[in-house]
Amino acid sequence: MPTAARTYWLTSSCRIRRKDQSLLIEREHGDDVHIPITDVRDVIACKPIDVNTAVVSLLNQHSINVHMLSYYGDYAGSLAAADNATSGETVIAQVQLATDPEARTRIARDIVHATAFNVRRVIDRDLLAAPYKTLTASIKNATSSDELMGAEGTFRRSAWEVLDTKLPDWLQMHGRSRRPPRNAGNAFISYVNGIVYARVLTAVRLTPLYSGVAFLHSTMERQRHSLVLDLAEMFKPLFAERLLLRMASRNQLKEHHFDTDSNQAMLSDTGRKIVVAAVRDELAATVTHRELNRKVAYDELLYLEALRLTRTCLEGESYKPFRIWW
Amino acid sequence: MHIIVVYDTAAERNPKILRTCRRYLHHVQRSVFEGQLSPAQFTRFQRDVKDLIDDEYDHVIAYTLPPGAVPQRVTWGQERDAPSDIL
Repeated sequence: MPTAARTYWLTSSCRIRRKDQSLLIEREHGDDVHIPITDVRDVIACKPIDVNTAVVSLLNQHSINVHMLSYYGDYAGSLAAADNATSGETVIAQVQLATDPEARTRIARDIVHATAFNVRRVIDRDLLAAPYKTLTASIKNATSSDELMGAEGTFRRSAWEVLDTKLPDWLQMHGRSRRPPRNAGNAFISYVNGIVYARVLTAVRLTPLYSGVAFLHSTMERQRHSLVLDLAEMFKPLFAERLLLRMASRNQLKEHHFDTDSNQAMLSDTGRKIVVAAVRDELAATVTHRELNRKVAYDELLYLEALRLTRTCLEGESYKPFRIWW
Repeated sequence: MHIIVVYDTAAERNPKILRTCRRYLHHVQRSVFEGQLSPAQFTRFQRDVKDLIDDEYDHVIAYTLPPGAVPQRVTWGQERDAPSDIL
């Protein structure tokens, strides 16, 4: 990804102010922190933040997006910088591809397939071999997004069950639940998925693509950036499920990192910091890219994926969604 | 590239230099700043600083490290502001 800059994570509620043409973070607990504006690529706010017009105009000048996560860790919304990367030519090509039923289904099918591949790769190759085979067969003839999503749902359910067998009792998910997440495992997955979504949005905004026109998800879906939902899909297992398994097996997650009620759960303040730090480190992890022939950070994979889709739209190159190759 | 800037300027210009540096780098000590800049950002930073200082009196030093290099940092005593990206 371009420029030497970092993602800043705000894990406690704070006010962002403009000071000396740069950012000043006033935290509720703790000192004020000056952040050089050139060092900010984007900001992910995990707690409520206050901003004013002066800050927004400064962020806009530097094309910095601020992503906000809700109380339960879902994506709540963004302060998006004015969009100056989107190009008409690309958007037209993208829309043509998305409105062509055959092309659209092909891309959607590839996304579902690649996602399932990644889930299987992360959770358990052997135990998920059968469900994966079923999925491969059922999406082959699928003609609509609904059918594809249905097939994916079935596969996902088997995957969650297998995942539960590898987790300690208190972290088990017993099926996916959101808004609010019903238990600790779900709270974790929601949180990390929210972060992945936010980072993919930043990546998409660096490309000329329009984030509202999607291939797998309905283009009108809940006024979200549907294209980002599409692209985030393949990366969620790489971060969410993988980190959950790793942090559970290393005993990094403890019960007191979650605030649990009878039927809902969320990360506590300390828990949130631990998870955010883990995701940040994971985003910086590198892997050798076969085609580029150099080391690439996981974070950059998101951007490369968005670029690949751009190329599909503009040059008709067939789209091969991201699969974990290592 | 990683950059460390130290400055020694007349008192009346200190605040201006401080504000300029804050836009680009992390404040690590009274007149010491540190951080990552792209070559373009560094050029812009240089220009901004040169516009401010009096060549006859002030002195600013920027140590730059080649891209990818990260200095090993050892500190003693009270660290004022450790630049972290999780706040």
